[in-house]
Amino acid sequence: MLRYILRRVLESIPTLLLIVTIAFALLHAAPGGPFAADKAMLPEIRHSIEARYHLDEPLWRQYLRYLGDLAHGDLGPSFQYRNTSVNQLIAAGLPVDLTVGLSAIVLALLAGIPIGLNAAWRRHTLWDRLPMGLAVAGISLPVFVVAPLLVLVFAVKLHWLPAGDWVHGSPSHLLLPVAALALPYVAYVARIVRGSALEVLNTSFIRTAHAKGLPAHRILLHHTLRPTLAPVVSFLGPTTAGIVTISIVVETVFGLPGIGRFFVTGALNRDYTLVLGITILYGTLIILFNLLADLCYAWLDPRVRLE
Amino acid sequence: MRAGARGLALGLSTALAACSQHAGPRAAAADPAPTIAVGSAAATVQAVARTLDDYPRSLDPQLTTDIPSQRVLDDLFEGLVALSIDGRPVPGAAASWQQSADSRTWVFHLRENARWSNGAPLTAEDFVYSWRREVDPKTASGYAQALAPIVNGLEIALGHKPPDTLGVEANDAHTLTVHLMAPTPYLLDLLDQVYLYPVYRPAIERYGDDWVRSEHIVSNGAFALQEEIIGNRITLRANEHYWDASHVSLRTVVYYSMPDRAQAVLRYLAGDVQFTDSFAASQRPWLKSTLGDQVVNSPWLGIYMLAFNVRLPPFRDQPSLRQALILAIDRAALTRYLKYDMYQPADTLMPPLAGYEPQHPAWARSGQADRNALARRLYAEAGYSPQHPLRVDISTSIQGADERHFFEAVAAMWHSVLGAEVGVDESEFKVLLQNRDLKRLPLFLDSWIGDFADPVNFLQLFDSRGSLDYGGYSDTRFDALLDRAAQEPDNAARYRLLEQSERVLNEDAVYIPLYYYATRHLVKPYITGWHSNLLDRNLSRYMSILEHQGR
Amino acid sequence: MSNRHRGSWIAGGVLLLVALSSLIVPALSPYDYYTPQLDLISKPPMLQGGHLLGTDPLGRDLLIRVLWGCRISLLIALVASGISVGLGVLWGATAGYAGGTIDALMMRTVDVLYSVPFVPFVIVLTVLFGHELWLMFVAIGAVSWLDIARIVRGETLSLKRREFIEAARVSGVRGARMIGRHIVPNLLGVVIIYATLTVPTVILFEAFMSFLGVGVRVPLASLGSLIADGASDMQAHPHLLLVPAAVLAAIVYCFNFLGDGLRDLLDPRQQS
Repeated sequence: MLRYILRRVLESIPTLLLIVTIAFALLHAAPGGPFAADKAMLPEIRHSIEARYHLDEPLWRQYLRYLGDLAHGDLGPSFQYRNTSVNQLIAAGLPVDLTVGLSAIVLALLAGIPIGLNAAWRRHTLWDRLPMGLAVAGISLPVFVVAPLLVLVFAVKLHWLPAGDWVHGSPSHLLLPVAALALPYVAYVARIVRGSALEVLNTSFIRTAHAKGLPAHRILLHHTLRPTLAPVVSFLGPTTAGIVTISIVVETVFGLPGIGRFFVTGALNRDYTLVLGITILYGTLIILFNLLADLCYAWLDPRVRLE
Repeated sequence: MRAGARGLALGLSTALAACSQHAGPRAAAADPAPTIAVGSAAATVQAVARTLDDYPRSLDPQLTTDIPSQRVLDDLFEGLVALSIDGRPVPGAAASWQQSADSRTWVFHLRENARWSNGAPLTAEDFVYSWRREVDPKTASGYAQALAPIVNGLEIALGHKPPDTLGVEANDAHTLTVHLMAPTPYLLDLLDQVYLYPVYRPAIERYGDDWVRSEHIVSNGAFALQEEIIGNRITLRANEHYWDASHVSLRTVVYYSMPDRAQAVLRYLAGDVQFTDSFAASQRPWLKSTLGDQVVNSPWLGIYMLAFNVRLPPFRDQPSLRQALILAIDRAALTRYLKYDMYQPADTLMPPLAGYEPQHPAWARSGQADRNALARRLYAEAGYSPQHPLRVDISTSIQGADERHFFEAVAAMWHSVLGAEVGVDESEFKVLLQNRDLKRLPLFLDSWIGDFADPVNFLQLFDSRGSLDYGGYSDTRFDALLDRAAQEPDNAARYRLLEQSERVLNEDAVYIPLYYYATRHLVKPYITGWHSNLLDRNLSRYMSILEHQGR
Repeated sequence: MSNRHRGSWIAGGVLLLVALSSLIVPALSPYDYYTPQLDLISKPPMLQGGHLLGTDPLGRDLLIRVLWGCRISLLIALVASGISVGLGVLWGATAGYAGGTIDALMMRTVDVLYSVPFVPFVIVLTVLFGHELWLMFVAIGAVSWLDIARIVRGETLSLKRREFIEAARVSGVRGARMIGRHIVPNLLGVVIIYATLTVPTVILFEAFMSFLGVGVRVPLASLGSLIADGASDMQAHPHLLLVPAAVLAAIVYCFNFLGDGLRDLLDPRQQS
């Protein structure tokens, strides 16, 4: 187990390096630079701005310079936010995304697993049809529709909850964003769990146990749960990384100062360092959560051998 | 199956119910806007929350180029010249000034009681330092070339001369002399620009890039920086060292970054913010019916237009074709139906400006039917017909559904009047900038918002020696008129020359005016001390809150 | 047919109906999807007066535009899901079955592709290839197969150790035959569920991509772009959002029921 983890950690280094290189190439291949703007700017002046950020150097030199800084943990200055470094931007925004994102994942699991299990156990009854019907609605209603609707209903009309904003340690400000973010994932988890549980419940082992009179909750909890969760874990690995960094719509609608927005607007504004920094963060989280997911998977399904 | 269908029906009806309650004018009884009763005395809590369309890029006056930064900086700092409540230049850090007989030398007398937010006195040397910093290539300021009117300003920005040769000197602690290349009647408008605000040298030298953080920053405006939550909001508190602090009512100003226009409206309705920037045109009727006078639209100095590339086919050497396209657009219908009368249809380059005579083209006087008929004749003259239609794309950037629909409608008008096959090619903004710069686009978006209230700021768009002439227009008469205007000390005479240059421009049919910009704000009725102005700069320093009930 | 599967048949029928309508009805209607009618902007649905479902912000008939949108979105759903499922299953099953270094290489590639920033990728694609519709399939396909690959790999890892796989191996089945004959059919359950879950994501993803200039060119619209446009106008003109959103929800429901039925049909273990 330890050797496996160590091996994966070592593998992550060339993986991250590859990610950085591809991202770097893609960003510089896109036309336009960070300082091209819709105003009067003589070419010489644009050039001196670019020179300040070493953008006039040949690409390979910029690349090596970036890697050198990266080795010191310096993600560079942001080209859009010229007084703020990428490290500062990420340090400011990441806790917000982590809080909202992880809460949403936890909610998705806490709600989705029981719903899915129940639906599988009582398949084709109301306990199955209704939640699954709502689940599909949850998936097909895009978050940029659900989120403003939630604000409209709960904040503007009812005044129960704040309409947005980020206040440290205030659960009422978390409720709506987490709900909006978690909704499709509750649905995903419920459907995957139902599908997976159906297969497990159909095995001869379970059917024998049921025939022998084992009570439902024992069957579900002790025998069905672990194998059922396997595909959920596989799915959640990268999803968690994504939900944590790229929930841009929720951030925008609720005015949360996360880094998801920076990722998209950074790319559109050619803020190379900011996008690269977030890419590295995202890549690290992906690798980390995939590793955790794989470890979980091995624990859930003893037949799986980690090599 | 039935249960599933029921689930679907349940979900949809909930959504329907929620939406239909806000279905606009028809359901006026159930609108979400609270009623607000306003008194006449001052409220106990003097605080306002305003919105910005994005988070400010920087709070360093010499490093910012975006409007959100400008809004916050207008409250944090003050230049030699400040803005009045009507957006006109009035004494700021400078109490008075004189110009020499030839208008090339100005002397500014700073207030004795001008202070930084840490109590230190504001001196002329601060301005010298700040302006040199602005043109220094090492600072890499985006507006460096705006100091071209000052002696050596452009040479320094281009790196040919050292920053200390800038034509500005501090004669003593409170006297500043500015040497100009030529008479610059709009100098006062230039001096209230953000990039000429003074900055506090000790903080910059000590903290470098971090000098703008709330724990280090020192500013000289009506407000000081209290707190900054990156990506979310900026909180300002009243600056007790400000020379006019006794007339500043507000104690706190919070600026929220809200890139989503719909969200800004929702937060306004919830009462979280009281003064917003921008809302979508299509929301205007609904907003007007629910919020009435809280919806503010006033002229904003800017023009929304398309421009032709006169160096490339199909518009090269085709003045009739260009004119035909200009004529065959029903601007009144477009602004009425698609922009809900928010904007005024445009027929000139220069938006309405006091003292400047609008150069209406001949076609402005006829009706749309006549224009269409003339357009068809010109189109045929240029060699086009239904069998041989014009095929071209409007190149624009991706801005949103409203803007896309607008250009679809323009293309549809050209199709129905002329039979032209015009598409709308939306590119990502930077890609559009690049292609425009390289002068590759035959027909492109060329809108412009004035940096300051002077016609030269708009006419420079077509100066063949400038960097904004994306259509490759080059007319020696036009350039010559601009040069003569630059040397003219009398502002009225100068305006006449600029009007002449616009006439030359209009004869050549190189741009398609569409509409003039307007500000879009939602403002709570209990905020006083602000007036709509052409440059849409509303300083919090004049605002105050009246006592009120309701949000 | 059994009661359980009636839902799937109805779902399939509805989808077919939607697809056929999207092809036939526009030809029969007096309205087209591109000519603006400026005096009829954003009218709500009216049962008489011609515009059954109302008009869009340019006064065009909403029903016709939604039907055209269905054409595009159904095409996207089928093609992009097809590509991503095909590629994802092959990749994941191969990696899971092969194990060892091959597994590590393949899955680290997946990690890399996950992390590559999507927006610059799409921008570069449009620069290289212009604003073509097929680019959208490439872009969506390039991203959505990754999730499926991971899930399939995970399932393969547990399947690998099952008795019937051991039995097959003992009788000489190897490599591609093993993957194709024995592993993939047993994965289908999870894969189909996941594929039907990706349909709405893919359709809405296309709306996101139109913000980058990729996707349907104006005046064409897809369900995703209609929903995105409608969402920004939700308070003033709710029908602009509700109509395409309802159609999308219906399509997604149908895909899901269809998926359930397909799964029951194809999954060897479900056949009882």
